[in-house]
Amino acid sequence: MNLDKVISGFFIILAMTLNFGFFYGDLADIGLHDKYELFAAIVVNVIATILKLGDRTQMGSVLLATSLVAVIQLIAAASVWTIGINTVGIIDSGLSSIIVSLSGGALLANITSVFLYIGDTLKSRR
Amino acid sequence: MKNSSLWIILQRMRTPFLVIVITYTISILGMAIIPGIDNNGNTYHMSIFDAFYFITYTATTIGFGEIPYTFTYPQRMWVSFSIYFDVLGWFYSIGSLVALLQDKLFIQELAKNRFKRQINNLKEKYILVLGYNLITSEIIKKAIESGIRAVVIEKDQAKVHELMLENFTPQVPVLNADAYNPQALEMAGINSIYCKAVVSLFQDDALNLRIALTAKLLNPKVRLAVKATTQSDVENLQDFGVDIIENPFDIIASQTNKALNSHHLLRLERWIYGSIKLTDPFMKFPVGKYVMCGFGRMGEVIYKVLKENNLEVKCIEKDASKLKYLKEDEKNDVSYVESYDKKSLINVGVQDAKYIVIGTKNDTTNLSVALTAKKLNPNITTIVRENEMEDFSIFQTDKIDHILMPSRILIDKTINAIIRPSADLFVKNLDTLSDKDAQGIIKTLLEIDNEPILFELKVTKNESFELYKRIGKKLNVTLDLLRQSLKDKDHLNNVFIFMIYRKSGEIMLPSWDEKLHKDDVVLIGCDKNALEEIELMANNFNEFEFAFFGKEYSVLKNLFSKTQDNI
Repeated sequence: MNLDKVISGFFIILAMTLNFGFFYGDLADIGLHDKYELFAAIVVNVIATILKLGDRTQMGSVLLATSLVAVIQLIAAASVWTIGINTVGIIDSGLSSIIVSLSGGALLANITSVFLYIGDTLKSRR
Repeated sequence: MKNSSLWIILQRMRTPFLVIVITYTISILGMAIIPGIDNNGNTYHMSIFDAFYFITYTATTIGFGEIPYTFTYPQRMWVSFSIYFDVLGWFYSIGSLVALLQDKLFIQELAKNRFKRQINNLKEKYILVLGYNLITSEIIKKAIESGIRAVVIEKDQAKVHELMLENFTPQVPVLNADAYNPQALEMAGINSIYCKAVVSLFQDDALNLRIALTAKLLNPKVRLAVKATTQSDVENLQDFGVDIIENPFDIIASQTNKALNSHHLLRLERWIYGSIKLTDPFMKFPVGKYVMCGFGRMGEVIYKVLKENNLEVKCIEKDASKLKYLKEDEKNDVSYVESYDKKSLINVGVQDAKYIVIGTKNDTTNLSVALTAKKLNPNITTIVRENEMEDFSIFQTDKIDHILMPSRILIDKTINAIIRPSADLFVKNLDTLSDKDAQGIIKTLLEIDNEPILFELKVTKNESFELYKRIGKKLNVTLDLLRQSLKDKDHLNNVFIFMIYRKSGEIMLPSWDEKLHKDDVVLIGCDKNALEEIELMANNFNEFEFAFFGKEYSVLKNLFSKTQDNI
């Protein structure tokens, strides 16, 4: 067993599950989406990204790219939320759908990342 | 993925980044969860963005104060905790980054990248010089003078700094690496089309051999100038297909031989190498008794040459180890002495000798022996070896008649072979000429100018466009054209043709009605005016027209009666 693999695998999968947890629910109703869950998703995604830094292999580069996509989408969602609440004052159904769909995009990137990660692990014989 | 400095940063910064993210997350969460009280006394929770904002300016020690409302005591306790927590994390990360920037590996990586960029941007002909010292520095200077750039690989950091302080213009890119390292050679562009030659003149013959082998494996087409001081190494290098093999002692031997038998040839050879001017006094060794000091590699070759010419030679040598492997016939002439002092010089017969050759490795010894010999026998002619190259030579005295400088010979030979390969070939073929031919050539050259210019005209599309084009049109262009004055139809310029080099073989001293072919290289000696005119007519339509047909090209006349294509 490789501790490095456990840690990076843990964060990569946690990034996806948290992201899914936030995304799941009615698109237009922000009440069904928790802000702390979004925060956790962002933090875990950033950690997963850092763990993938500096890997010079082909697989490492693609993994890093997917993580960067996810982080950017999630931060965009959080920014929309912050700006919305401080300028409009309330998150209406329009804003809500923007936030949740942005996180949906991040979820796709995270799923890709997990698939690649599992594929890479299966391929390795050690 | 070639840029490894970026990857080094990323890999090393992993932990610091993680530390920042985790410390921030804990602090932000704490701030968002702990309840505060607003101005009206109501309980409120900081939004995540507010918490992030607060922690960001607190962790970086900027500290804007407590917003949006004054904090409660539980909040302040949490803030005190997180300040220590975050600031430590932040400083740790900055510290790691600064340490990384000073990291030797990282700096080397950056230097390598800069070197690679310089090589990529180098879109001119250049030579790759391995090892930086006085000899190669001289070669670099001469190459730059003739419009060829240089790139250096040097192992010693101190010498790299020396090169940088030299301030060559244009800049000489330098890589700090082992010269025999294939990666370093590749990085220095050994495969580049602009790389004209690789120069390897290390003291160590084995190293030169290794470099030659590596270089030929990497790029079989590259021209190599390699030094070798023993016969077996020379043969090895020939087997690899090295083009320019330089054995300074071989050159000294052949020059000594020429000085004895055919000093005009020697004069011509040294002029082509750029060692002397034609008007300089020339080296001519008369017949007589020779005394030699030092029987090392150089002493040995000179001894052999003198013996082959049936001259009386007596040698003395201080180093007993050099005398171990003497051949039978050498034992009579070579004797061991404790030091090169007055007594041993008298014993070996300086007083009735005509010549003394002093060739030890030590410059001070050489000089003092020369002075002693002159004192003992004022009529003796001294030939002295100078090893160190300095700006001011202690050998510039009238007590010394001829100086032999292996390093200078190496420089002249290398630079000649690289800048004018055809001139190098001409020198190689000099033996086919007689001394009388050489005397004639020198006389002609001196009639041209006191300091004639030696240059090669390449009949290629790039270098002499018009000439190349016209030869293709089946015009009968002969060498005679090259001496045609462009100012006066009936006047001839001062031009001398040494050689035509073409793939089928070279023609030494061709006659004026020799035909020019495409891709010929013509080695020409001429004055400044002729050089300009040759270059003009080789590249300019109208000038060629005048030189060849003796009249200007008429547009009107040709406009109507044009039958041949004009391209």
